[in-house]
Amino acid sequence: MHNEVGQFVSLSYRAVYAVWLRYFAVFRKNWFYGLVTTFAEPILFLLSFGLGLGSLIGTLRVGGVSVGYRPFVLAGIVGQTVLIQGFFEASYGGFVRMYYQRIFQAIAVTPVTLSEVLWGETAWGASRATLAASAVLIIGVALGDFSVLGALLLVPACFVFSMIFAALGLLVAARSKTIESISYPQYLLVFPMFLFCGVFFPLSQLPVMVQKAAWLFPLTPVLSLVRTLVLGFPLEIQAPFLVIFWVALLVPLSRRFMIGRLLR
Amino acid sequence: MQLSVPLRVTDLVKTYRTPGKPPLEAVKGVSFEVASGECLGLLGPNGAGKSTTMKCITGFFQPTCGEVTILGHDVHRDPREARRGLGVCAQDDNLDTDFSVLDQMVQFGVYFGINRREGERRSLELLRRFGLLDKKDELVEELSGGMRRRLQVARSLINQPKVLVLDEPTTGLDPEARRVLWDILAEERRKGLAILLSTHYMEEAERLCDRVAIIHLGKIVTVGDPRALIEREMGSVPVREEIRPGFPIERLPNLEDVYLKLTGARLSTGVAFS
Ligand SMILES: Nc1ncnc2c1ncn2[C@@H]1O[C@H](COP(=O)(O)OP(=O)(O)OP(=O)(O)O)[C@@H](O)[C@H]1O
Ligand SMILES: [Mg+2]
Repeated sequence: MHNEVGQFVSLSYRAVYAVWLRYFAVFRKNWFYGLVTTFAEPILFLLSFGLGLGSLIGTLRVGGVSVGYRPFVLAGIVGQTVLIQGFFEASYGGFVRMYYQRIFQAIAVTPVTLSEVLWGETAWGASRATLAASAVLIIGVALGDFSVLGALLLVPACFVFSMIFAALGLLVAARSKTIESISYPQYLLVFPMFLFCGVFFPLSQLPVMVQKAAWLFPLTPVLSLVRTLVLGFPLEIQAPFLVIFWVALLVPLSRRFMIGRLLR
Repeated sequence: MQLSVPLRVTDLVKTYRTPGKPPLEAVKGVSFEVASGECLGLLGPNGAGKSTTMKCITGFFQPTCGEVTILGHDVHRDPREARRGLGVCAQDDNLDTDFSVLDQMVQFGVYFGINRREGERRSLELLRRFGLLDKKDELVEELSGGMRRRLQVARSLINQPKVLVLDEPTTGLDPEARRVLWDILAEERRKGLAILLSTHYMEEAERLCDRVAIIHLGKIVTVGDPRALIEREMGSVPVREEIRPGFPIERLPNLEDVYLKLTGARLSTGVAFS
């Protein structure tokens, strides 16, 4: 018998929304902090890689498509933003809320169930990451690098992508004994993904074995889909299925682990 | 229609299963009821299982066995309905430090479906009663320990509960703040609030609770009206004890004597039960 409280209880979207509103209220109250932490990082990457390196590298040929380095890396930064924003808010932020502030524990004795609190947490992490990614999308469209339709379609898609990394962050928070130990998955999982899944250069530059390994990590299918949508790269058919797989795996698993940690 | 008992706890058992450690049965079959307008005190040594019992009652923990009904709803099958009328103040400080005093009360109301306008009205009223009105725009971190405690108790009343569970609500309160809280609880009880509270202050339990349950090693060892318990366990023979070397005193037995007797502990210095 597992001890998930609310196992007989259906999810209430109003309850999840009430939790989401808590995060939104904090974000709005500290709006300047929110803006800086949400937008500074994608914009800095964009300036450095997009404009700096982009002007140096010129054109790439990837899978039969010819593309400028700036659009290529801009699309990469969309994926990277989703990863970093989703993961950090949920891992460090989630740990603080669970361990130090005990917010989950406080809310989960109101009509909102613990499961709904965690849905709200993940939904918020994904919302924030989507907001940050949207800033990159707007810049990409403004520079004429991204297809407008693709960018529009990518906004809801980014929400789904962000769920993967917000859930990954929550899972890490649930399994970490101390806040310092979040550094392990940060250095051993998040940074390698960010460096080797194709944010900054095409996967095809890497040895075949490494390319294959890259497809074991969720950022690779995300980047593939981003580039299909905004740059018109050919669809790699495994990508949408892998995204669905990761969402279906990590979202319930992260909730389960967090509930398991709080209720022994 | 027969009104159901506000809080009913039946054969509650809770075993903690921490990975890599043997299971720990913290609550071993606890049953009690709290009637409308009644205050039941839960007394017991550190680690007796008071907080664990309360966390099962609030539906945070799924008990290993047993049943908890709040206002006729099973808290584990139907937490949403059951907890609509439940107020909770945990032993741990779990205030939302991202909010100011007032905002956090209002936000807490949101979880109960209380809109902001109404939430603000109720919050201001509660803050006034708890003597925190002039702190309403301050961040939680800027409050003193006792003020934080008061705020957490005030927050537990935002949904105008019918059942209130307070885990050591007066720990850290100054004597005046404690009295203010007692008065508020008395007022709410007159309106029919059922209260379950834990405390380590025996004179508080004696004066506040209609009944006290003494819990030891996960079991209720006795339950009853404090005065009747004293009478039953201690009789009315004065207790003699040496409070400091060379200072023997003689006094009437109190609830603390009962507590110490039943939980197997001894008076701090030289026990002398006559
Ligand atoms: N989350 C937990 N995981 C494992 N064991 C726990 C947990 N919480 C409490 N315990 C254990 O359960 C037992 C009862 O603890 P509980 O917190 O219910 O005591 P209490 O009566 O509230 O004590 P106190 O007066 O110190 O607050 C203790 O032995 C404690 O170590
Ligand atoms: Mg306790």
